[in-house]
Amino acid sequence: MEQLISFRFRRVSLRKLSAKDRREMKHGLTFISPWIIGFMAFTFLPMVATFIFTFLDMSITEGIYNPVRFMGLGNYKALFQDQTVWRVPSLRVVWTQEIVEDGIKKQIFSPQVKMDPPGAMWVTVVFGIYALPVGIFVPLALALLLNSRYLKAKSLFRTLFYMPYVVPFVAAVFLWGGILNPETGWANRFLMQLGVPKAALPQWANDVFWVYPTYIIMGIWGIGNAMLIMLAGLQNVPTELYDAAKVDGAGPMAIFFKITWPMISPVVFYNLILSVVGLFQYFLVPLVVNQGTGRPGGATFFYNLKLYKEFFTYQKISYGATMAWILFVVILIVTIILFGTARKWVYYAAESA
Amino acid sequence: MKKTLLVLAALLLATALLLPACAPKPKKVQIRWFVGLGTGTDANQVPVEQEVVADFNASQDKIELVLEVVPYESARDTLSTQIASGNGPDIVGPVGWEGTNAYRGQWLDLAPLIEETGYDINQFDPDLVAMQVTTDGQLGLPFAVFPAAVYYVPKMFDEAGLNYPPAKYGEKYVMPDGTEKPWDWNTLTEIAKLLTLDANGKNATEAGFDREAIVQVGYYPQWQDALHMAAFWGGVSADDYYDEDYNAIIPDAAKEAWTWYFNGMWGPQPFIPNASLAGSPEFSGGNVFNSGRAAMAITHFWYTCCLADFRDAGNEFQLAVLPANPKDGQVHGRVDADTFRIWKGTQHPKEAFEVLTYLVGPAVKKLAPVYGALPARPEYQQTFLEAKSAEYPFVTSWQPLLDGLAYPDVPSAEGWLPNMTQARDRIASFLDLISNDGTVDLEAQIEQLRQDLDVIFKK
Repeated sequence: MEQLISFRFRRVSLRKLSAKDRREMKHGLTFISPWIIGFMAFTFLPMVATFIFTFLDMSITEGIYNPVRFMGLGNYKALFQDQTVWRVPSLRVVWTQEIVEDGIKKQIFSPQVKMDPPGAMWVTVVFGIYALPVGIFVPLALALLLNSRYLKAKSLFRTLFYMPYVVPFVAAVFLWGGILNPETGWANRFLMQLGVPKAALPQWANDVFWVYPTYIIMGIWGIGNAMLIMLAGLQNVPTELYDAAKVDGAGPMAIFFKITWPMISPVVFYNLILSVVGLFQYFLVPLVVNQGTGRPGGATFFYNLKLYKEFFTYQKISYGATMAWILFVVILIVTIILFGTARKWVYYAAESA
Repeated sequence: MKKTLLVLAALLLATALLLPACAPKPKKVQIRWFVGLGTGTDANQVPVEQEVVADFNASQDKIELVLEVVPYESARDTLSTQIASGNGPDIVGPVGWEGTNAYRGQWLDLAPLIEETGYDINQFDPDLVAMQVTTDGQLGLPFAVFPAAVYYVPKMFDEAGLNYPPAKYGEKYVMPDGTEKPWDWNTLTEIAKLLTLDANGKNATEAGFDREAIVQVGYYPQWQDALHMAAFWGGVSADDYYDEDYNAIIPDAAKEAWTWYFNGMWGPQPFIPNASLAGSPEFSGGNVFNSGRAAMAITHFWYTCCLADFRDAGNEFQLAVLPANPKDGQVHGRVDADTFRIWKGTQHPKEAFEVLTYLVGPAVKKLAPVYGALPARPEYQQTFLEAKSAEYPFVTSWQPLLDGLAYPDVPSAEGWLPNMTQARDRIASFLDLISNDGTVDLEAQIEQLRQDLDVIFKK
């Protein structure tokens, strides 16, 4: 591999390769060719195709009877003007209400606070504000717990916490859908046993207030992988650092913030990047739990869900492709920003050395 | 020498035997039959379809019929991709109106082929032939029809001390006190409330009824969407939702139907399960009548496909006629119709038509029972009903379903809408919302739906 990389930088010297080097290079390329072919056929070329689609007007169901038109930047313009994507969540006061009295419509003074449904991108961002901290810190907390020397039966707990991750996520979502069913679910039955009045029972995925906690609960079910990565990071922290800190009289908080956190910050950063990418691709849960309708009040109409609907349900290939490319750009920008901030809070031992 | 001659003779014999096999055969025209937009993909259905294909291929030497079965979940994507790439199948089906209209403009008008080949369409009921005519022409021939009726559980009526709903159109419903009432939506509502029970055995009209602990519901619109409900209520067809300029309209009958449905779930005396209850495991995750917890359901003949759990649990159902609209006193039914379509882009329309006439002809005998479809050809109906009676021996009469054929929705409630997939998706979201949230302002939501449809229709 090292040799292949060096070929890239010493292109001129390729001609000077010995027969043995050439033979090895051929072998290397032969072995990697299935991946190259697969990547070209199933990733690179479709990406190029979708990029071309963004400049066309393609609707797949109209098929051969609809000649494809060149749209220029029309799809991008339509997307940036699409309020269902970009509308900022806002509250407004409606002062009057229309009523019908004796068959006559009347306006009466009846102030009400109403929320305009947010655009799909904002839904994603707002959910991220709730979900990202949970997705980062809960696995970290669990990993710290499992790494504690005071905990007995560590292997058992590690297995138990990791086990849900093995369950297919769709199955887990259905399972949780049953548990959190407002009418017959175990969660509400349990709350009723605790004395919570029926009228105060959470409506879970049917309620604007509860829907994100519902999704987060479902998400926590599958944090075993993130927890395991955090645990691996924790176990790689050299013990002599802890010993030295203790000798210096450092307390648990100081040890955590001065040693543990910096040492595992690359792992946290890695999980953060994965979580952000996962957030922008969030799709399965709202599709299964709320049937992809955006209910309640548009709070679950995530960007990727809209993308799916445009592309597959409405089969508007060009618009869907445009949404996909904009999503790619957004994720790229956010990732670059995160890498920019990483210099300030992520500790790489090799760099500091 | 003798040995050499023997070898040569053997070689000559072998060559003589092989030569005819190598001779060019007359090339068969390949016709692709795509299954997946509707029924036809279940494990018990595919072998029968393969048998039909084998029968057809054995019957003649000009056409080779090839079966393509695609799972329902991915069938639209697959078909769309095939059509977009100009590689669409020759025949698609069985497919209902929704699937047909999702690909409006893609189907071949059969009228010229019927005329050219002299195919006798008089062998079908003219009304059923007319059902297959759209603005794009004669898009199909009658294959299977699915009239609707009220499915009910006699045991629940007995326990509530109620008489059964009428089995003949025009008959009245007899209340427990002996008074007669017209069999309409009001009467259905009245008895559905009495059939809705909570965990303490109280019905929805009794004081102390616990709506949070419903264990049995009086009614459920089984596998009906908002358009179907409006059609059953007031004969609203898809055409009624827009005018010639594609302005969206919500017909009054649709508003009434949806209001009735909403109040049935969220009103003071609920008798329809809301989405959370209907979707719970106790209510079979949406297949509510099959759970044995619904006293009545309006649905089609195809629903007999999916009642095995219900039957195997020792439950029994009977059939009653559809209720009338209380305003106009008319019954507004619906008849689903599945058939086969020829793709407009086929390279072999004549051969495809020959296959199509086979599928709606001799193949009906094998396909209809396995599809749970009442054959459009009267000569095959009796055999089909006998098969159904063997499957559900407790059903005393299928006549209420057969009589439902007299109440078709022409034009169909599943007819074409401008920007159809998006429009139907928006309507589905509306139904999902009002089924899940009893606090919404229904009138405002209906107006919001109209406004959104207006934008969608004009896109």
